[in-house]
Parts: sequence; C-alpha cells; structure tokens
Amino acid sequence: MNDWIRVETRDGSTAFLPGETVEGTVAWHFDAPATSVELRLLWYTEGKGDQDVGVVETVPFSNPGVDEIRPFHVRLPQGPFSFSGKLISLAWALEAVAEPGARAERLALTVSPTRREILLPSGGAVAGAG
Amino acid sequence: MPLRARDNPFAVQRVLAIRYRLAGVTWEEMLERLAALRFRAAIVGPHGHGKTTLLEDLGERLGGRGFRVRTATLRRGERRLGPGREAALFREPDPADLLLVDGAEQLDRMAWWRLRRRSRAAAGLIVTAHRPGLLPTLYECATTPELLAGIVADLGDTVEEGSEELFARHGGDLRQALRELYDRRAGLTSPSAARRGSPSPPGR
Repeated sequence: MNDWIRVETRDGSTAFLPGETVEGTVAWHFDAPATSVELRLLWYTEGKGDQDVGVVETVPFSNPGVDEIRPFHVRLPQGPFSFSGKLISLAWALEAVAEPGARAERLALTVSPTRREILLPSGGAVAGAG
Repeated sequence: MPLRARDNPFAVQRVLAIRYRLAGVTWEEMLERLAALRFRAAIVGPHGHGKTTLLEDLGERLGGRGFRVRTATLRRGERRLGPGREAALFREPDPADLLLVDGAEQLDRMAWWRLRRRSRAAAGLIVTAHRPGLLPTLYECATTPELLAGIVADLGDTVEEGSEELFARHGGDLRQALRELYDRRAGLTSPSAARRGSPSPPGR
C-alpha cells in the first residue's frame, strides 16, 4: 500500500496574518480511488484540559482520482490567534483528509498579527505556597 | 521562558496517544469473551482507570471486524441520552450497529431501560460504568504503580518521588496523577507542595 496525501502552501509559508489568504496544493496518490478528499482549515488546543477543535472552513475536492494535485485557497479569519500559555496552546492547521480509511495529513500554521505564536506571560499565579 | 502547554510531556494530546494495556488477557481472548456475551457487556472501573481508552480501542478492533461502531458519551450528571446522542446511536439503524456508551451509569433507570430496549435491534451494546451490574462484566480496569511508571516513561519523563507515592496520593486514578505531573512540569506546583496537598492555581 503506497497511499499518501500531502498539503503544501504555495511558497512553503506556515506563518500568516489574520485575514490573510492561504494558497497551496493538496496532492495525493491512492492505490484505489478515494470516495472523498477534502481540506479543512481548523484550530485546535493542546495542553492540560480536554482538547477543543474548531473547523473554520472545508474545501471539498470533487471526483478525486488516484493521482492528483489540486490547488486551494482559504481565507483565514481574524482570530483566534496562535498562542501558548502554561495550561493551553492554540494552534492552526490545514488538514487534508481522504475517505475511506481516514487518511490524513496536517500542516501546522501560525496565525497572529506578528506571524509568531503569542507567548502568554507566566504571571504571578505560580507554585504552591512555601 | 515557561514551558509551552503543547510542549508539556503530560499534555493531554500526548497522554491520549497512549493506548490501553490489557493485563492478564489478550485482545483475542477479550473478543472471544465478548462474543460469548453476545456483545452485550460492561467495562468496569473507577475514575481514571482507563475505561474510556479501553472502550475506544475495543471499538476500533470491532470496527475492523465488520461492525458499524456508534458511540455516545455521558458526562457526570447527564441522566438521559438526549436528542444528539440518540441520533448518534440510533439514526438509520443497521443490524451491524455496535453501540458503545461511555459513562452509562449516569443514566437514570428509565433512560437505561430505554437504551437497553432500543439496543436489541443492534448487534451489541458495550458500556463503561464505575460499578458492575448494568451488563455482564467484560473487563475490570485496574491500575498499579508500575503501570503509572510505564506510562510516564513512555511520555519520556520520570516521577521524582517514585510512582508508588504519586499513585497512592491519587488512589490509583492515573488521570489525576498525570495531571499533577503536568502541573509540576508547567511550574504550577512543586513535588513537595503536591505532597502537602497544595492545590493548583485556577485559570489558564
């Protein structure tokens, strides 16, 4: 089985401004045709608590063949920004998913006004007493 | 610079990547037992003992054997399935449907009775519960200090005071033990403070 799927941005950029348009391609090879291939723009959290995910936009690719490269463009929303604190990180990603089999590839993105992940200050609420 | 949440070795996405480790039984034996119970059975154990993880792993294996796995999760205090979970379990039913209900002991008697009755048309019903009694017990989830130590090692870390003390402090609840380790690595509490029972500060 030599199935693969790949998502790339046009010039390899992974850091963007809010509201910016992301262009790129989704390429794949499947031994047997997929019934569906789509690209999802999503944010997700990582850290201590339950994980949250928000799918902001879905781009379906109609009639997927076994060997293809399809272009896409998606417009990023104004937020939330990519950030990290001690308890939670929020990240963005483009995720290409093919069914059946839930074959997927995720490309992590950073979305913020500085194109860099915002690091929350550690603040004073740290460490136990003593 | 403080450790970013996503880089914490005990971040939930890393913990969830560790799958259930059966003790004293193989997956093949577990599936044989489940078939002997006509796919109506319960996974039993206290909080933080891996019931949900085992249910997920079981569902994945059963899906690979031709069942159509349908899942619903009940949180604390949710006494009824409600429209969303009912749809997830029963919309467009198929004889190959295998219903997985996590936290079934939350249902009140009427809701549990309705679930059992409606599940008769399905290929099976597997639930998790804190105590035996809802359905024949398929597996009792247990934890040990060695299991905790193994999971911590798989996450690329160690327990400063040894896994026995941490394990005992949380009564065998591995989820809480791993959360304590998360807080320590995040600098939210120290091992000594945890031993004294100092709570983690609230907020994000």
